[in-house]
Amino acid sequence: MELNIRRALFEGYRALIGSLRFGSRGTIIWDSWDMWLLEIIILPLAQISFFEILATYANYSPAMVQYVVIGNAIQTMSFSSVFAVANITSSDKWQGTLPSILLTPASRASIIMGRALYQIIMSTLISTTGLLYAYFLFGVNFSSANYLFLAVSLLLTSISMISFGLLISTIGLYMRTAMIVANVFLFIGLLVCGVNFPISELPVWLRPLSYVIPLTYGLDAVRLSIAGAGFYAVGIYLLYLVIDGLAVFSMALLLTKTFERLARKSGRLEIY
Amino acid sequence: MPENCVETSLLHREYANKDFFGRVKSTVTALHELDISVKYGELFGIIGPNGAGKTTTIKILSTLLLPTSGTARVLGMDVTRDLYRIRKNIGIVFGGERGLYNRVTGFQNLMYFSDLYGVPPSVSRKKVPELIEMVGLTGRENDKVEKYSRGMKQRLHIARALVHDPPLLFLDEPTIGLDPAGSRDIRQIINDLKKAGKSIILTTHYMFEADELCDRIAVISKGRLVALDMPSGLKKQVKDITLAEVHVYGDATPLIESLKSIENVSRVFSDMTGDRTIVRIQTPDGSDVLEQAKSAASRLNLKIIESSVKEPTLEDAYLRMVEE
Amino acid sequence: MSSGEVSRVQVVKASMILTARNFFADPQWVIPSIIAPFVFTLVSLFLFSHVNGPILLYAVLGGGMMGMWGTTVYGSGSSIGFDRWNGTLECTLSAPTPLMWIVLGRVIWNTLEGSINALFILAIGFLWFRVGIGIADPGLFAISTIITFLSLSAFGLLLANIVVLSRKGGFLTNGIEIPVYIATGTMFPIGLLPFFVQGFSFALGPTWGIDAIRKAAIAGYTGLPVSIYVDLLVTVLATVVYMALSAYFFTKVEKIAKRNGTLGDY
Repeated sequence: MELNIRRALFEGYRALIGSLRFGSRGTIIWDSWDMWLLEIIILPLAQISFFEILATYANYSPAMVQYVVIGNAIQTMSFSSVFAVANITSSDKWQGTLPSILLTPASRASIIMGRALYQIIMSTLISTTGLLYAYFLFGVNFSSANYLFLAVSLLLTSISMISFGLLISTIGLYMRTAMIVANVFLFIGLLVCGVNFPISELPVWLRPLSYVIPLTYGLDAVRLSIAGAGFYAVGIYLLYLVIDGLAVFSMALLLTKTFERLARKSGRLEIY
Repeated sequence: MPENCVETSLLHREYANKDFFGRVKSTVTALHELDISVKYGELFGIIGPNGAGKTTTIKILSTLLLPTSGTARVLGMDVTRDLYRIRKNIGIVFGGERGLYNRVTGFQNLMYFSDLYGVPPSVSRKKVPELIEMVGLTGRENDKVEKYSRGMKQRLHIARALVHDPPLLFLDEPTIGLDPAGSRDIRQIINDLKKAGKSIILTTHYMFEADELCDRIAVISKGRLVALDMPSGLKKQVKDITLAEVHVYGDATPLIESLKSIENVSRVFSDMTGDRTIVRIQTPDGSDVLEQAKSAASRLNLKIIESSVKEPTLEDAYLRMVEE
Repeated sequence: MSSGEVSRVQVVKASMILTARNFFADPQWVIPSIIAPFVFTLVSLFLFSHVNGPILLYAVLGGGMMGMWGTTVYGSGSSIGFDRWNGTLECTLSAPTPLMWIVLGRVIWNTLEGSINALFILAIGFLWFRVGIGIADPGLFAISTIITFLSLSAFGLLLANIVVLSRKGGFLTNGIEIPVYIATGTMFPIGLLPFFVQGFSFALGPTWGIDAIRKAAIAGYTGLPVSIYVDLLVTVLATVVYMALSAYFFTKVEKIAKRNGTLGDY
């Protein structure tokens, strides 16, 4: 696979500037200012509150309530890392721009990376806001947190989750239902990734899904960083996270190429 | 009953461009003090370039848009006040793909709109199959609309506008984007509707269509009414561009010189093709001038191969009016 | 020439049937509107599975409520947008029927669609989490459910208006879902909420509706300190208020539509 890093970075920069500049005109549904407000400020607060009160009502210990709060603070990044990314191809289809984008000679990888860069920033921002809520509103104890590990964990979780979002989005190249799949994976993490309860409580048949979604490892890394765990304890989960992220990303690239070929064969690029 | 089903007086519509704070930055006049009246049973055409104000006129008359000033009466009622009573008695057909529920069948679309127009189910159960028959969709009425061709959709669209049997119909570019056979079907349906006594207001970009169908035509340009007459009357206005044409063998230079001296001839021009010369004479009196040309040719011993008079078309008239 | 009013019942029914047909043409589109309530309920059931008592039935009922609300909010947000997207907005607006009744038909179907989700959640609760579905007072339960259903539809109707008027459809439909789950006490008593949120809770009909449903279903359930009949009365009142407000707003929407020629800009 040929990957021109400089061009990818340039594309990324252009996509970032482009998104910022055109966002307010609503070219992408999730990028107008009120959607930012919703994505970064309101939805994370609503979701964390819901599960925090729920856990309290279910008589969870204060430590477990904190577990739930941190889990949801990080999971809310799914709005921009999974939902928005998975919707990119379908919104291209929607606006009829998909054929013209695929016609450009730019490599798929650089287009994808250019778009992903913007979402990485958003995802990290959303989860950081979530953790600020956790600290200021929900009394999560950050006294022994290792902020360097925490920052690295957040960033790597964002990147890996966006790879996962890309995997979901490739399905959009071939199916009419990218929007539906995007919605399902926006919330499914709440159930299977150890956001609200450890995955050991899940039925065995659901666990493979937990191991595929990078959020599962990301959450472990984040929680350990906040608890002040050492390099090796956090590092092992970061390693899992990177391996899973790479696997998911390669899968996304492979499927993009396969689906593009299939779509060209069946003429499905234009239909939605 | 009054004689006219539509009457407008100084009908005016402006669109305001507002800035971020809602202040009016500029206004665009879409329709300038329009006065038209349409008789009952008439098929009335409105033609004009894109953005001339045709659709604005239709929208105001069909109560979808308020005029900025002036009045419009439809079936004797005021478009700004008698909203629902007017709507119950008019049908609107928009051209193009839009206007139908694609995921349900043609039959279900018609039943739905029958209900929205308050047609009693006992009536619509009989009426809807009749309409399907009339627009030639029998056999396909239980297919989903998304499976219809463009022409079938347009015919269903017309049926949709007829579910409540309105006396007045608005057809906004009903043949736009249709192939020749599809357009012919639609024109046939429009003719049948006129014969059935419906009053019809039609907008179109196809001049031969307006010429063929309409009793009277209003030409609108830049929001203003520039002409209103029967198709033949409109064509009379460009009588001067009638072309008399003679094809002769050999050198036609002496003929051309003598033609230029005939009264009423504004221009003469010629073309050599192969062994013949085609001489075209622009004049308001086509047949008269053609006779003179023929006798001039025989005086000059030129053999005429063929000759003809081309009367101006509605398109010629239209182009002159909207370009002025 | 025909005159006289178009029957509203006929319009509501026709609009409901058309929405249902659209749904059955491609039912998978229900998923975006029910996935959040579905996952939220499952997570709640996991969290409650350590707790004894009738709390699972409590959660399952709340989940059903969330399911109905999810489709209501989703359907209301897209009620006018659907026509715009489908290209039928002008045809719908040109019908001799106030828009409100057309939209009401759609909202009622959307709420019904949510009941499918509610039943699904009930089935999962029963099969997976072994929730005992013994309803204490089936008669009152049925009445409470129907009244709550109507108040949700009326709420959805009001929301459909605001979505059109405010131009911020996406903001409202995406932003109001979870806050309403919290405020109406779908999964925990509203007593646990901050005081200022509780004020908002009491203004929402569904808060009283779900309380009535639980009082009818769960023997010995305390909930809000009023009788179930007070709950029902308030729910009905809220429904009436939502309908009145909707009627007022719809007149406004139609005025705007006529002044600008279309709702296309909204």
